[in-house]
Parts: sequence; C-alpha cells; structure tokens
Amino acid sequence: MIALLEEYMPVEVLLVEDSPGDVRLTRDAFRETNESIRLHVAVDGVEAMDFLKKRGAFASSPRPDFILLDLNIPKMDGREVLAQIKKDNDLKTIPTIILTTSDSEADIKKSYELQANCYLNKPVQLEDFESVVKSINDFWTTKVKLPQQR
Amino acid sequence: MPETSAVQQSEARYRGLLEAAPDAMVVVNQLGEIVLLNVQAEKQFGYSRDELVGQPVTNIIPEGFAERIIADGTRTAAEALEQQIGTGIELNALRKDGTEFPIEIMLSPLESADGILVTAAIRDITRRRESDARYRGLLEAAPDAMVVVNQLGEIVLLNVQAEKQFGYSRDELVGQPVTNIIPEGFAERIIADGTRTAAEALEQQIGTGIELNALRKDGTEFPIEIMLSPLESADGILVTAAIRDITVRRESEARYRGLLEAAPDAMVVVDQAGEIVLLNVQAEKQFGYSRDELVGQAVTNIIPVGFAERIIADGTRTAAEALAQQIGTGIELNALRKDGTEFPIEIMLSPLESADGILVTAAIRDITVRRESEARYRGLLEAAPDAMVVVDQRGEIVLLNVQAEKQFGYRRDELVGQRVTNIIPVGFAERIIADGTRTAAEALAQQIGTGIELNALRKDGTEFPIEIMLSPLESADGILVTAAIRDITVRRESEARYRGLLEAAPDAMVVVDQSGEIVLLNVQAEKQFGYSRDELVGQPVKNIIPEGFEERLIADALRSTEDALAQQIGMGIELYGRRKDGSGFPIELMLSPLASGGGVLVTAAIRDITVRHAADEALRVAHRKSESILNSLNDGLAVFDKNWVYTYVNEQGAKIIGMRVDELMGQNCWDLFPQLEGSKFFENYHRAVDTGKSIHFEDFFPEPFNQWLECHCHPSSEGLSVYFRDVTQAKKTDINLVKKVEELKRSNEELEQFAYIASHDLQEPLRMVASYTQLLSRKYKGKLDSDADEFIAFAVDGATRMQALIKDLLEYSRVGTKGKEFTAISSEDALRQALRNLRGAIEDSETVITHDPLPMVSADEIQLVQLFQNLVGNAIKYQQGKAPQINIAAFKNRSRRWEFSVGDNGLGIEPQYFERIFGMFQRLHKREEFAGTGIGLAICKKIVERHGGSISVQSTLGEGSTFHFDLTAVEGSAA
Repeated sequence: MIALLEEYMPVEVLLVEDSPGDVRLTRDAFRETNESIRLHVAVDGVEAMDFLKKRGAFASSPRPDFILLDLNIPKMDGREVLAQIKKDNDLKTIPTIILTTSDSEADIKKSYELQANCYLNKPVQLEDFESVVKSINDFWTTKVKLPQQR
Repeated sequence: MPETSAVQQSEARYRGLLEAAPDAMVVVNQLGEIVLLNVQAEKQFGYSRDELVGQPVTNIIPEGFAERIIADGTRTAAEALEQQIGTGIELNALRKDGTEFPIEIMLSPLESADGILVTAAIRDITRRRESDARYRGLLEAAPDAMVVVNQLGEIVLLNVQAEKQFGYSRDELVGQPVTNIIPEGFAERIIADGTRTAAEALEQQIGTGIELNALRKDGTEFPIEIMLSPLESADGILVTAAIRDITVRRESEARYRGLLEAAPDAMVVVDQAGEIVLLNVQAEKQFGYSRDELVGQAVTNIIPVGFAERIIADGTRTAAEALAQQIGTGIELNALRKDGTEFPIEIMLSPLESADGILVTAAIRDITVRRESEARYRGLLEAAPDAMVVVDQRGEIVLLNVQAEKQFGYRRDELVGQRVTNIIPVGFAERIIADGTRTAAEALAQQIGTGIELNALRKDGTEFPIEIMLSPLESADGILVTAAIRDITVRRESEARYRGLLEAAPDAMVVVDQSGEIVLLNVQAEKQFGYSRDELVGQPVKNIIPEGFEERLIADALRSTEDALAQQIGMGIELYGRRKDGSGFPIELMLSPLASGGGVLVTAAIRDITVRHAADEALRVAHRKSESILNSLNDGLAVFDKNWVYTYVNEQGAKIIGMRVDELMGQNCWDLFPQLEGSKFFENYHRAVDTGKSIHFEDFFPEPFNQWLECHCHPSSEGLSVYFRDVTQAKKTDINLVKKVEELKRSNEELEQFAYIASHDLQEPLRMVASYTQLLSRKYKGKLDSDADEFIAFAVDGATRMQALIKDLLEYSRVGTKGKEFTAISSEDALRQALRNLRGAIEDSETVITHDPLPMVSADEIQLVQLFQNLVGNAIKYQQGKAPQINIAAFKNRSRRWEFSVGDNGLGIEPQYFERIFGMFQRLHKREEFAGTGIGLAICKKIVERHGGSISVQSTLGEGSTFHFDLTAVEGSAA
C-alpha cells in the first residue's frame, strides 16, 4: 500500500533553467521515464529562490523533492542559488543536482563546496541528454531515499 | 980657618950649583977672563973646560959681553955691571968649531976673594931666534894687527896689519909707548906696579879679549879688542897683543842687542863663567828682574839647575865642546822668578863669539802652558783606547800609554828611549826618519792620516798585525810623531774570513773604496769580467762598470759617502758591465757597506743577468702575448685575490665596467662598488670561493653602471677569476622577448579563452539545433514529405558536424588553457590509457599494436594520452584493406630528449602535405572517406610544442607513415 502510495505520489522537481529548449527536452525526457514527476521550472535564480521560499506568486508552490540547477542562469546565477539553498536550514535538505553545460573543474569544485549533491554535464548529443535525465530519475526517485518532509 | 971653610964651602956649593944648572954658565972676572964654566958651557961651546979657563971670554963671546962688564973710563965695573944685571942680553957666540950661534946672557954678580965676578948664564937662543924670526913672520902674516910691547909699555914689534890699522909706519911706532895707539887700558894691565909683578899682571890678561879704544894716527878713534899673550925674550917677557878692529863687531853687537831686545822670547847671554852678560826686556819680564839686577849675576840665579853646568868648561871638556853639545837642542829646565816662583822653561842655546870668548845665547821660553798641554796630552794619551806611542825623529820612543804597555807586553820604562823598531820592526821608523830624499817633516807629511798596516812584535816575541795612524806633534825637540796603534788581529781574521767568503761567493764580488777604486775582488769577478785580479785591483771600478756605480757611492757636495751609500744598500741596481774584451752585458748590483781601516768600503755583488734579461724579455713577450690574448677576449676578465682586490683586469673588462684598468687594479672590489652589497654578484662570488665551484649567473649591475652582466666565476687557490659579459642588450632583447612572449602568451591565452568561451557558448545553441532537428527527425520522419526528410537530414547533419567542429575546437583550445603542469610520467602508461580509450576501434579494425619499452618523460599526462590517442587513432583510421599495424618506439636523441615514433602501415601521405596536415582543420580526404574534422594533428602539434618539442612526419604514399615527436626526458629514465 505504501509502495503504491509512493508510486502514486507525485515527485516534485524544480528545474532551474533559462533555455526553453532545454526545458522541453528535460520535461519530455522525464515524462518518458516517470510520469509521476511534476516538473516546476524557474527561469532565473531569483525566481528559483522565490519558488523555494514560496514568495509572491509561488506562495503555494510545493516543496521540491529535488532540484535540477543550471549554473549559467540570469539574474542570480546558479552558484548563488546553490549557496542560498544550502545555507537555508529548511531548504538545505533538498538534494540539489547541478545540471550544466560547464565542465570546468572550477565549477565542479565550487559546486561541491557549496554542498551540491551531485554535478552533471548536459551532454551535447540528444540521446546522451535523454539518457542522463533518465539516469537522474532512476537514481533519485527509485534508488535514493529522500527525507520525508511535507 | 972657619972663614976659609965657609968661603970654600960656599964656593963648593956654588960650583955644585954651576954644574947642575941647566944653562951654560961661565964666570968671568973683571978682566974678562973665564974663571969658571960648567959642563953645559963645555957642550954649548964645544970646548973642554981647560981650553976655556983663563981665556978671555971674547973667545966665545966675541962682542958685547966683555965690554959690558969691564970698567972703563965712564963708570966703574960695579956700576957697569949693575946696569946689566937681570937683563937678558942677546949676543953672538962662537963655538970651538968656528960656528956662530945667537945667545942670550943673563948676568949676575958674584962676590969672591978675587973681587966681583960676573956669572953669565948663557942660553943658546938659536931656536929662539928662529922662533923670533918665525914669530916675526907670523906676526907679519897675522890677519890681525899685532903689536909686541915690552914691560915698559914700549912697542917692540908690530906687523904690517898694525901699521895699516893705526895708520903709522913701523918706524913711527917701534920704541914708542903703546899708549900712543891704545891710550888707555893696555899699558896699565901689563906694567908691573906696586901690587903685582909684570908677570902676574900679564897672567891675568892672558887669553881674554879686552875691549878698548884705539887711536889712529889721524886722530880717529875706533874700538878694538886685544888678546894678549906672553912672549919670552931676551928683553924679558914681552906681551904680544893681537889687536882686532871691532868696529863692525860693535855694530853687530849693537844690532844684536837690538835683535835681542826685539826677540819675542826671553834672551839671556851668558859667559863661560856662567854670568849673565846680556838680557832683553822679555827676560826682564819673564823673570821679574830689571836688567841691572841680572847683568853680571850668575845665571843660576834665574836658572838654578841645568844650565850653567852645561856650558861651563870642566875637567872633561872645554867650554866650546860643552857648548857644542847643547847647541840647537831645547833643554827643559826650571826657572826661578824674582818673586821666588818657579816655572818650567825650555832653553835653546846658540854660541856667540865675543871678545870675551864664546858667549852662550839662551832663548828662554816659558813652557808652563806647554807643560800643561803636555800634561793634558799625556792624560789623553793614557786615556786613549788605542795604544799610543810617540816617537821622535830618530825613531826613538818618547812617550807611550798604558794601552801600548799592555799591547806590547812591556813596561813603560822598558820602551821609552828605545828604538821603535823594537816593537815595530819594519815599516814605521823608515817612514818618519829624514833621509837623503826628504826631510822628516816631508816624510811625516806623507804618512799623516793614512792607516798603515804593519807587523808588531811583543816582548814575548810573538808577532801580531797592527794598523797605525800617524799624526805630527810639535815639541821643543822638533816634530814628534804620535802613532795610534791598533791591534788588527781580529780584523785580519775577519778580513781573511771575508776574503774566504768573497772567494767562495757564487756571485762575482767586488769591493770598492770611497774613491771608486777596486780594493778586492774574487775569482768569480775575474771570470765574469775576463780580467786577472792584478789587472783590476787599484783600478777605477769604472773600467768594468762604466756608468751608474761610481757616482752612487762617491761623496759629493750634497751628501757624505755614508749617506750616498745608505741610499743604495739593499736595492738591486741594474746596470751594464764591460768585459776585458769590450763586450757589455747586463748586471744587477747589490751593495753592502763594509767598515774598514781605510774608511767605508762598498761590497758589490754583481750578477750577470743576461739570462734573466732574456728570460724577462721572454716573459715580457709571453706576457704581452697573453695580455693581447686576454685583451682580445671579447669577454671581460677580472681576477681577484683572497681579499677581493683586483689583481688583474683585462681591457675588455675595464671597458665593460667603464673604468680604467689602473683605477681598478689594487682596489678592493666591494669598496669600489658598495652598491653590490647583497647582490647576486656578492652572493655568487662568495659562494664560488666558499664552495670551490664555478658559478654561472646573470645579474643587474646597478647605478651608475646599469648593466646586465653574465658572469662565469671560477674559484682558484689565489682567489677568484670572473669572465663577464655585458648582456644588457641581450637582456633587453630578452626582456623584450619575454615581454613579447608574455604578450604572446597572454594573447594566446586570450585567444584560447576566446576559443574556449566561444566554443563553449556555441555549444548551447548548437545543442538546441542538433537536438531538436533530431527530435524533428525522430518525430516526423516519414510523416512529412521526402523533402522535409531531406531537409531535416541536412539540418541534422550540419548541426552534428558543427557540434563536432566546436567540440574539436574546444579540445584544441583546451590544450593550452587546460594544460596542466608537467610531471614525471610514464609514457608507456599514457600509451596504454590511449589504447584503452581506443579499444573499440582497435578491436573493430583488428589493429596490431607493438611498442618499445617507453620512458619516463616530463609531460602533462592527459595531453600525452590525447597525443597518443590521436596519433594511434589516425593510424587506425587512415587505412585501406589491410589490418593496421602500428609500432611505437622511443630513443634518446643527441639533445638528450626522447624521440618517439608512431609508425603505421596505412595510406601514407604525399610529401607536399607533410607540413599542411598539422594545420587546423586540414583534411586530405573527403568527408565520406574519412570522418574527422582535421584538427587531430593540429592538436598533436600543439601538445608537442607545448611540451617543448616538435612533431613531423615521414611517409611513403601507399606504404605508411611514421610520426615523430620529442619530449623532455626525466633523469633516471631508461635508455
């Protein structure tokens, strides 16, 4: 029953991504692999924080189960968002996955220092991209134990 | 009868007397008949008694006798007789043989019974007559006027001189009283008077010159001196007076008295009786008497002892002889003043003829001062360190001191008065004694001052060498010679030793005196100059050293010889010597002084420096050569000693530093350039010296030089040698280069950044295009028309290719931007990783890969992997038909770098493309043939060049290619 409940319960995912193309690709990729994923999108860092803080228009937004965060986003960049999330006692328990085109060593290091839960490169090829998204789902929704916080 | 006896006795006695009488005696009666005669008469007349008794006396005395005694009409016999008594009567006598002879008879009465008889003493005066004649002859011949005077004072005889002297003729004077010519003083002396007999009177006068005044016929007076002598005659004793006109003498005397008075010395004239006759005013002063108090007094009043005795005749000699002994010699005596004080005198005697006989003139010198001098002199003599001996002109020792006593082993009294030849046998006496060729003074003058070496003789007979120095000494006894006598035994030994040393010396040695003459030389000198010893001793040293030597040691107006010499001692003086054959050669002199009896001598050690000169010359030439070499070096060379003092700087070095060589030489480098404190120069120089290792470095030489210097410093035992070069220009170029490189690097980096950012940012939109065209293809392939399919296909292809290009570009740019530091890595490991990465391709193509053991290299691991991956990947890809065979090898090249080769059996490349293929996006094949953007080799080149190496290809079309690249070796890697 609980397993069914769990299967039935939607997975709230916040995608912080400014490229609409990438948003679609990600959404489509998730839909193919796990229909229970409810993808919320913030197009810049400020919006992301507002969502997470349930500010303004996002007052009734759900708390995401995990966050997919691009580093190169406008207004407040992903690194700053990451830092804020992980500083926040309430938010810091939300697994935050960096999904970005940068493979710079500096970015990787910085991210982990800021307590990113993991770091993923957006593959160039479409197939590879879809594969990564699937892997994320696979790992973070079926394998990993997430804290119960509702 | 008694009366008869008495008469008889008296007669007998009378006869006895007669017989005994020395003269012939004849007694004649008043008739003139011989009554008696003695034997003398017999002999005298040649008769026997009988033949004469009773005969008339006229038989033997024809005339003059009988008449005298016979009474005649004018007088009685007694009266007649009386007149004759006593007088000697000269008559002629007749011998039996008829010969006549002159007689002198002396009558005396004789009373007898027969009346008065006359006794006649008959003297044969033949001799006397002859004497008289001779006498007269003498008288005439006498130079002096001679006048013979009888006891009545009548002139009996005179000679022609007397005639001349008095201006009378003989006749005018004979029989005249002598007072005519000598008014006073003569006649009285000789005439008997009441107090004495004529004989007595005469006796008093005999021999003495009596000064009187004489009167000429013309009435003029003149002074005379008469000398009386008795003359027996028939007329009794006559007086012969030699009369000398002493007018001239009087004048002389007057002149003499003048001289006497004027004489500086006290002069006293003393007669043979020792009485003072004359004295001068000096004598008055000297003795404190007035003239009157002394004239006529005994000289012993003023000279108590030693004078009178000398000149007075005594039993052993005459006054003349006595005097002769004293003449000329200074006699030292003691004199007595009136006040009773004594003082020492020296008297010099000389004779003075006078009417009173020989007088003695004594020059009396007060020698008080001289005595004191003498005493002082004696004192000095005694105190003298050397033996001193004073010798007179006869060569007798007069004085000596205690040193002389010691030296010769004699006591003083054993030597004084002895000949000096006793102690100095040869060489001394001869020198000072006057001989035929020179006077003592001259002889002496030759000896004064010079040290004369002689041999001396001690009392014990041993000989020893001496050096005497003579000096004259005036004394009353004439010039004496003082000889300072120095025992030079030790000096002789030293000299001998010295001569020995001189001979043994390796160098030529020449000893020169102060006048520049050679005194000594050794055999080396003989050889060196080609002379024999004799040819050089005594010669001027100029003969062998023409210039530069003599001048140095001869005293001149500016300095003494000692000073001159002192300036030369010890220094090596380079001069030229001249051999006998005239050839010259360079010499070096070393001078040293040598004290000797003859003054300071100079010993010169003479070294022939021909060889040294040649060596020096050679050295100079070599030095010049090395100098020129060192100076021709382009690099500067500075040599320091252990105290950091510049001991050598070549010209280039000085030029680089910008100072003169002489400004640097001898200076301490840190004192000259304090701004170098703390610089690399300071550090490295010290480090090089401390560690003993050469150091090469560059550093900036600050103000005021502002140069970059590249230095190689090499430590040595003496200090440090530094080769240095001004590399300022090069450095500037370097700096420029560096700057340029920096700029280039920055520029590259910027470019790389740019490429990275560009490619990175391009990825995003490219991904969109690629992804969505693929989605389009996926979703709508076959659902739209064939054009759509084709369009989509081209779009997808393009996007895909673009992605590949961007990816490669990114990768290319990453070689620089993402390059990591080099570490020592195993190239073999890198290869293996690359092969692992290519596993799929390798398996698919069935490629066979072989490789050598690959070394450790200094590299960026990821890039090395990439390098191998690209090259091997290419080798696999560019194949056709064959299974690829790839070999990877490595060897260490000449530059000690690892050269790798990746060789394949693929398609090969045409030579004209060997360079091009390494360019960016260069492809030699169509896309359809071989995939790839053409950036792989560009990436390889970039990687290799980043690693400091270079990459190239060797290839043969259709056979394969071998790519070569080199990497930095790591120490300890496998060969």
